[in-house]
Amino acid sequence: MRRLLQFLKKFRDFIIFLLLQAFVLSLFINSKNYHKAQMVNTSSGVVGWFIEKKHNITRHFHLGEANDSLAIENAELRSQLPESFYKLQDRIYYINDTLYEQQYEYIPAQVINSSDNRRNNYFTLNKGTKSGVQEGMGVITKEGIVGFVVDASPHYAIVRSVLSENINISVKLRRNNEHWPLKWNGKDNSIVQLNGVTHDIDIREGDTVVTRGNKGMFPENQTVGYVNEISLTDGKSTKNVNVKLAVDFSSVYYVYVVQNFLKEEQLTLEGDLFKPKGDE
Amino acid sequence: MNNTWVKYALVFVLVVLIQGLVVNNIQLSEYVMPMVYPIMILLLPFNQNALTSMLIALVLGLCVDAFSDTFGIHASAALLIGYVRPTLLKYIQPKEGYDTSLLPTVHDMGFVWFGLYASIMLLIHHLWFFSIEVFRLDLILLILGKTFMSFVMSIGLIVLFQFIFYKPSRS
Repeated sequence: MRRLLQFLKKFRDFIIFLLLQAFVLSLFINSKNYHKAQMVNTSSGVVGWFIEKKHNITRHFHLGEANDSLAIENAELRSQLPESFYKLQDRIYYINDTLYEQQYEYIPAQVINSSDNRRNNYFTLNKGTKSGVQEGMGVITKEGIVGFVVDASPHYAIVRSVLSENINISVKLRRNNEHWPLKWNGKDNSIVQLNGVTHDIDIREGDTVVTRGNKGMFPENQTVGYVNEISLTDGKSTKNVNVKLAVDFSSVYYVYVVQNFLKEEQLTLEGDLFKPKGDE
Repeated sequence: MNNTWVKYALVFVLVVLIQGLVVNNIQLSEYVMPMVYPIMILLLPFNQNALTSMLIALVLGLCVDAFSDTFGIHASAALLIGYVRPTLLKYIQPKEGYDTSLLPTVHDMGFVWFGLYASIMLLIHHLWFFSIEVFRLDLILLILGKTFMSFVMSIGLIVLFQFIFYKPSRS
């Protein structure tokens, strides 16, 4: 009898272990399959507060690099101003025309917490819904795309980085507009993969891979990276294509969150045509 | 008794903050991801039963998850070593049994015993953690590499942590 009780006691621990394990694993699996964070993360109040305090100390360590990159970007933008062009024809004048309508606006933000060595990597930004950041917005730097927002609290936002398992951002070649979804196999945090590149497609090392602009997440033609290795596997109808990312994910600091004013219009229009599949 | 639990609560908060704000930022390469928070589970009293250690491990893991955006993997791995701990302690018991006035630290139990105990616990923890995280059989070498490299770093940090924050129970 005593042995039986002891046995049951041991069994009780094991059952509780299995139940709790099933609970935490379901949290993890849910977080991979939905485009929305299901659990407390670094965008929530208390944790976010601590992370921001840490950021206030550590942000000064990379200030030099950050300033250099901002200065370079300023110089590039300055060179595009009307004042930096020599007027070849004096009679050119500007009128306030209605040919253009603002589609994208960029919300500047800083990365206050990040990882680049896991299977699914996330960034925490110091801007949230109060600054206009919403779930589903794309995030870019001046070098290229970084990821998209999966959760936003009033003051913080969580970004799923390109270095994630089911990232599936649609990309194309700048040269001939062939397009595929982007994948990451988790091996190297500066290399991502293109899936389903068939043999008939003209793709060369050094080609620039850019965003395609579907789903309204990113503007079209934002750099993603450069094709750096094409290999063949015997008996497979597709090529393995490795893309070197344009962004150095270990030192991302200043980022822009993309606000697309026409996104809803695009998605409603497409929603009438294509029935949504799965979690897309 | 009360005093001990207050001390454990303080250690808990300290461990979560150190893991979340300091150790998570040690990102030397994609293979090295040191974890110092299992020390909280390692250093529970010898006679702690599996139920309490599992619950402590679960809460600890969820807190660390909140700080590192891992959505439950830390909790899962911590839960596993919380469950394994009492059984493992039984297997590596010294001949004369455990003195319950001592703690399973380097100071109280010596380098050899602690090294064995911590290595087994941490290897189980890391292997589970990276297997769940990567979850692909064809990347088994990546999992093993991550496990081993992170393990070396973690055990170093855990020993260091004890020399900073712990004294021998009897001097």
